[in-house]
Amino acid sequence: MAMFDKHKSAKQDSPVSQEPKISQPAPSMGATAPVTTTKVALIGEGISISGDVKAESSLKVEGRIEGRSIQCSHDVEIAETGHVSASVMAKVVKVSGVVSGDIGGSEKVLISRSGRVQGNITAPRVQLEDGALFRGSIDMNPAEPAASEKPAAVKQTTSKPAAKAPTQGAAATSGAARKEPGLNLKSG
Amino acid sequence: MGAVARTIESGSALPRTGPVTSRQQSKLFPAMFKMMNVNHRLTVLEIGPAMTETVDFFSQFKCRLHFVDLFHEPFVREKQSDLSEKELRHAFEEQFRFPAGTRIDICLFWDFLCYLDDTALRAFNSALRPWLHSGTRAHGFGVHHLAIKLENIQYGVINNETLSIRERRSAQLPYHPHSQIEMHEMFNSFDFERGLLLPEGILEMLLKPRN
Repeated sequence: MAMFDKHKSAKQDSPVSQEPKISQPAPSMGATAPVTTTKVALIGEGISISGDVKAESSLKVEGRIEGRSIQCSHDVEIAETGHVSASVMAKVVKVSGVVSGDIGGSEKVLISRSGRVQGNITAPRVQLEDGALFRGSIDMNPAEPAASEKPAAVKQTTSKPAAKAPTQGAAATSGAARKEPGLNLKSG
Repeated sequence: MGAVARTIESGSALPRTGPVTSRQQSKLFPAMFKMMNVNHRLTVLEIGPAMTETVDFFSQFKCRLHFVDLFHEPFVREKQSDLSEKELRHAFEEQFRFPAGTRIDICLFWDFLCYLDDTALRAFNSALRPWLHSGTRAHGFGVHHLAIKLENIQYGVINNETLSIRERRSAQLPYHPHSQIEMHEMFNSFDFERGLLLPEGILEMLLKPRN
């Protein structure tokens, strides 16, 4: 439990006042062909967001997000220090931290060895590393190609098969009633 | 932070099982799969933690996997002898809150039934029944003689003929082996379809719903 308390002192109740960092890998030296760079928006350690997040770049979460959803048109990584209490929808979702909510990946969902997930996963491919803790259901369809760039839809209404408490359900219903601030991350 | 998130965070950070220590061939597992139409979406109930190899195996199918790790539920671990059948049934039903219309094609019980006392076995049986259909098949392990002890292990699926075996990191649950006669009487949502006696007196079981 202690490992999860270390951000509390830095927690902000209002949405981030600081701009998320956009990290951009440096072009490789000597490259002749155009280099495709992947921009990553970072919710850094110590940052806490209450509300929904929409990102048009890839997103890395080292801090804490509590809301209804994270929607990302590229990839989302929840780092070891990251805590998300919301549904996550992206192309590829990698979880090394804690997620309480449904996850939809239009290409793939990976829970790494330090990852802890409670919720339902929908993706063509799902990979759990040894040591990952997962509770919920996994909906897989390997034949379903990642042709559509749209993230897989996460069914909030059917979101509690194996899980005891209705996290996303509760988040969805309460979220519908209250207007929460959101964060729209764009880069490029 | 919601209640469920707290549940996750308060849980042990340690994996619930160790690495794969051995493999076990199964004859009934492939037999079960032959009965399934794998071209349709399979609904699978796994009574245990999500294992890497099990998820990998099922990732070749269009399927929905429900992981319900009853081995680590406090009401199973600590309270089953104190609770009435009604209370236990309610506790199991809480765990089986699947979407409406769910019908389970494959139940993977592993050795869980051997860790339920008579009352808990009846309650588990009742709670599971609404989710079954005539094509449901269940796979599990029992014992041929009640004196036989089971090891504290967790199974996973490597392929449809091979199961993985890992050591559990948690203490072994109180052991309540049942004879086939007891199973027939108390676990009456199912009938034995096939049984296979394995070395060391372990009985591999393939079960089908009782009409």
